[in-house]
Parts: sequence; C-alpha cells; structure tokens
Amino acid sequence: MKSDIIELKNISFKYKGSDNGLLNNVSLNIKRGETVLLCGASGSGKTTIIRLINGLIPHYYPGDLTGEVCVSGKIIKDTELYELAGTVGTVFQNPRSQFFSVDTDGEIVFGPENIGLDPAEIKKRGEDVVREMKLENLLGKSIFDLSGGEKQKIACASVSALLPEIILLDEPSSNLDWNAIEELRQSIIRWKDQGKTIVISEHRLWYLKDLTDRVLYMERGIIKYEWSGLEFSGFDSKKTYDLKLRPTEMEDSIIEKYRNRSNGIIDIKDDDAIVLKDFYFTYNHKPYFFIKKRVSEKDSDILSLNIPKLNLPRGSVIGIVGRNGTGKSTFLRCVCGLEKDCTGVIEADGNVYKGKQRLKLSYMVMQDVNHQLFTDSVESEVLLSMEDQDKEKCEGILKSLGIIEFKNKHPMALSGGQKQRVAIASAIAAKAKLLLFDEPTSGLDFLHMEKVAELLKELAASGKTVLVSTHDSELIDKCCDHVLCIENGKVGYFV
Amino acid sequence: MRVKLDPRTKLFMIFVVSVIVMMTATTPILWIIRIIMTFIPIILLITEKKYASALRFCILYIAALLLTFFFLSEESTGIFKALLTGYCAIIAQFLPAIITAWYVVRTTRIDEFMSAMQKMHMPDGITISLAVVMRFFPTIKEEYSHIKDAMRMRGIMLGGGNAAKMIEFRMIPLLFSCVNIGDELSAAAITRGLGGKVKRTSVVTLKLGAADYLLILVFILATAAFIVFKYII
Repeated sequence: MKSDIIELKNISFKYKGSDNGLLNNVSLNIKRGETVLLCGASGSGKTTIIRLINGLIPHYYPGDLTGEVCVSGKIIKDTELYELAGTVGTVFQNPRSQFFSVDTDGEIVFGPENIGLDPAEIKKRGEDVVREMKLENLLGKSIFDLSGGEKQKIACASVSALLPEIILLDEPSSNLDWNAIEELRQSIIRWKDQGKTIVISEHRLWYLKDLTDRVLYMERGIIKYEWSGLEFSGFDSKKTYDLKLRPTEMEDSIIEKYRNRSNGIIDIKDDDAIVLKDFYFTYNHKPYFFIKKRVSEKDSDILSLNIPKLNLPRGSVIGIVGRNGTGKSTFLRCVCGLEKDCTGVIEADGNVYKGKQRLKLSYMVMQDVNHQLFTDSVESEVLLSMEDQDKEKCEGILKSLGIIEFKNKHPMALSGGQKQRVAIASAIAAKAKLLLFDEPTSGLDFLHMEKVAELLKELAASGKTVLVSTHDSELIDKCCDHVLCIENGKVGYFV
Repeated sequence: MRVKLDPRTKLFMIFVVSVIVMMTATTPILWIIRIIMTFIPIILLITEKKYASALRFCILYIAALLLTFFFLSEESTGIFKALLTGYCAIIAQFLPAIITAWYVVRTTRIDEFMSAMQKMHMPDGITISLAVVMRFFPTIKEEYSHIKDAMRMRGIMLGGGNAAKMIEFRMIPLLFSCVNIGDELSAAAITRGLGGKVKRTSVVTLKLGAADYLLILVFILATAAFIVFKYII
C-alpha cells in the first residue's frame, strides 16, 4: 500500500481564457496524516493546488490541464466530484458563500444527506461534531446572524461531518479575529489528532507555525522552496521579510500587547480632533408598528453602539480592533452616516456634520469592494468620485496606487487586491476628510498588506484622518498611530 | 403557543389561497369565507410571535375592507376616490396570498422544505433549484443593501438624473456579486456531494399532525363552500 495519499505528477495548468499558466510542471506528494502549508504571494498557485486536490479543477473550473492528480487512490480526472465528497473536504476562504442552508443545523448535516447516509447515522455524526467542536450555542440559528468566526466554525463542522480523510483549507483565516483564529487552530489540531491529512493555503502564518509538518513556498506556479515544519517555525522576521511572507512570530506579541490592555483613553484637545458626539444606535429595536423611535443614552441595555463622546486625532491612522460582532462595523457605518437612525454628530474644522452630511465628510472602503465598483473602466470609476473631473489628477492617484496600467480595464476584471486599490483611489478622489476602511487587508499577502499600510500612512500624512477596522496585527504594527478597541458597542480603550 | 406545521400543509395553504384570491367575492357569504381564510395565516403569524407583522397586515387588510364597504361605492367619483378604489381592491384581493406567502417563507427551513419535496416524490432537480432560490433571496437582499450603501456614500443615488445609469450602477455590482457568490456557493456545495447520483436522505422527519389535518380540512371546506356559493347557488 502506498503511503502517499495525494500525488500530483508533472502538473501544468492554465484557466480557460487565460494566457499565462498558473502552474508549471508541479509535482507534489503528500503522505497520509501529514499537515502541509502552502505559502507564497497571491496568484502564485496556492488556490490552484487546493482546487486540483478537491477536483474542482478540472470538473468545475475548466482549463488546460496536463499531468495526473491522484487522491486516495482515485484519479481525479476520471472521478466525479460527488464521489470525492466523503474523501476530500474543503473549507473555503469566504464564509459568506459556502453555506447551502440558511440555518446552522441543516448546514452541518448537508454533506451527509447528499451522499445518502442513513438518517440515524447522520444524526449521530451531527451530534458528535457538535459535541467535539462545542457548537451547542450556535445550533438553530440563521447563518445571516452569525459572525465571521462563527460561520467559519460551522463550515469546519460541516466538513467534519462527512468524515473526510483529507481536509483542505483555502485561506480560512482571512475574515477572522484573533479569538476566532485560535478556535480555527483548535479545529486543525483536532483534525491532526484524528490523523487526517491537512493541506492549508494561507497568508497569515503565525497560528500555523507549530502545526505543520511541511511548508511549501510557491512562486509563479512552481514550488520554489520546501522546508520542514521545524525549520519553518525557526524563521526570524528578517527571513520571512526577505521571502515576502508574513512573519511567523510578530503577530503573537502584538495580540498579547493589545488583548490584555486595561482601560485607558488618550486625551486629545477638541481643536486637534474630529469630535464624535452622541453616537447611539441599536439593532435590537423594541417592537414597533409604523415609526421607529430613535434611541438615546437612556436605552443603554439595548444599544449596539454607545459612544457619548470621542475625540479622534486629526491626520492619524487609527486602528479599530475588537472581536467579530462586537460593534466595529456598526461604528464605521454610523460614523460615515450609513445608519440613518444613528443620532451622532461629527464636529470637524469648526463645522458640524449631522445625519446625511456625515456621508459627505467620510468615505468607507468596504470589505467586499465589489459592492462599490460601478462603472466600466478604472478611470471612470475614479472620475465618478471627483467633483471636477480632472483626468490628470486621476492619473496621479492611479499612479500612486500602482494601478495606472489598468486605467482602461473593467474594474471587475481585476484581481481582489487591484479592485481594492481602485476603491481606495475613488476614496482619495472623493476628497473625504475621514476615510474609513473595513478590513482592508483580509486575505492579502505580505507585499499587498505592506502597500496598504504605506498607503494609509500617506493618506494620514496628507491630512486625512484614517479609521481602519482590522484584525490584522501586522497592519496595526506597520501603520496605526492609535488603536481604538470597541467592546460591546463601547470604547474599551483608545491608546 | 407555537403551531408547528408541516411544509406540505404550508404549500397546500399557498395553493388554496392563491386559487381563492383569483376568484372575486361578490356576496357577503363569499366575503366572510375569504376573510376567515385571511385571518388564519394572521393567527398563525401571531403563534410564531411575529406580532408586529401580524398587526401590520391586520390593520392594512381591515382598513382596505372598511374603506371598500363603507366609504367607496359605485357612485364614487373623483381622482382621489378612483385611486383609493384601486388600492383597496388590490389589497383586499391579493393581501391574503401575500400574508400566506410571507408566513410560509418566514417559518420554513430549507431542510424541512427539501424533505417535504422529497416526500412528495419531486425530482431532486426541482427540489434543489427551488431550495437554491430560497437560499438566494436573503443573499440578494443583503448584497443589494450593501450596494445601496456604497451608492449613498458616493452620492450617486440618482445617477445624475440618468435613468439608465441609475439601473446600471445598481445592477452591475449586484449581478457580479450574485454571480460570484453563486459560483462559490455551488463549488462549495458540490465538494460536499450535492448533485450525486445517490438518493439524498434527510434527517428531518416530517409527520402530519393534528393541526395539519385540521388546517387542510378547514381549507378544503372553505374552498368547497366558496365554489358552491359562487357558482352553484
């Protein structure tokens, strides 16, 4: 019996309609029970390898494939996808789009139901998974009410319930906060103990460093380096920096630094600040029939956001941290005026901004930038945000962001990172004084993260005040002057 | 008290109510039957603790009925009354179906629905397609609200007065994100075995209870009475 459960033999692949090959003659053998980490820049072929193993290539994403992939004795090319379901399980990057059911219970048993197991057996598996992963408090909920971390937990449970031998994770931590990453880590440890073969493609490396048996470094479609897990966990920050990888060490120390912070709020004079006043908002409205009543300080028991006054230092980058679902996004939405029911007032440069006026003062770059790209070319996207459509200035902005070469391309044809830079470009063009970023570096590799950090610093230097909601401790370390922690809708600390 | 209904009963309710709203009520007895059939889903909404929506529907429906019977008549003239007649007629006529559909969508879980369809021996293709549609509605709603936010932020709510632009700005991102989500969703679903040749099983065990039989009976009787009073007597 062969001990290699996954075999890739001389694989070359390019997607249909794309000119450049994503993989060039890659060979890879993975042993049963091994945990392998794939790292490297975006577009280096990590996801392609994951898709080759779970059969989405070539069955779902067609393209030119040469070479042979063999998983658990099955030749992928000749195996239908549903036959692989009990063998290979995949946790995807985006928790939002990997759920078939709308409720958690249904999602966990979705896989076993598909492969036609006996209902009694499915129930037993479901109960086992729930007990193992401690999901009792998530049962019976709608997936639209879950935080990103909770969704990813359910996704792991749903994969677990199929009892696959091989588990693939494609950038699973992209949308997770520190606590949720720790829980993800626990899931991986559990799988490892059960002897499963695990392949992880990931940018954030710190939480995996002592879990992996082997690390593969990919660059432009080939496996360039290969290290043992032990070698890899010994890498210092200089070594990872040279490889353009995210550090394996630093994040831990930053998390510790900010996680156990006691209360404290820096004192900033009103004159040097953008002053937020009376920010109250709730999602848990008392039942109403036709008219919603506005909330105030008195309703503190139901408030989702409760900030009587907060001074944000002008011209600085302020990182907003806090657990998933604790009010970070709500805070951003209220500050930029998207929540109409929020009563807050912003005072900046002697002007008072209320209600709709807040929309003019601020601009938010959303986490899913697809939502805010409307036009048919990058250039017109930026021009749309300008009051006086100044093409020269537009080119300047595009150049500073390194996307001038895509000027005439359709924004939707760009990669995720490029799209984000287009959105940032229109934010700059809109001349907003207060720029808000919702998780700008989720799913970005080291180089792109560094670029975003540089950019945020430049924005602050040009006089804008930048609020960035993030779980990315490296980003905080690189560019944030201040860190604001939101806990249960209140300011936890601000340093 | 919560009345747990079988999805099959709910589908039957939708079917019956949709048939009834297509037939006009002309005599008081027909109106009474129709009003009874409207209040059943409203009461069901109350048992589900959806008080606010139940009351909203209730007020809307009663207002439309009162206006139709006591304020408007065949001699009504004037543009205001004409419009009012139109609105009231639409509400009185179609609200029952809307309330029932609302109740069913709000209280049926996708796995229950799929299990019910399987019990009725529907082909998997139809079941899965309908389940995907049910799954997609809330997603579209969520995506659309994000896009609306993005537009408000850029102050292009009205697209510079250009109607074509207005639709373009809304639809393009919506289509792209729905296509993306749909794509990722189906990739995630097939890696978990959807679409295989194996017959799907379901952990949801459905059984028609007393409430189901009672409701089905009530609806059959009401429909029969409606048809008898309308066409035979």
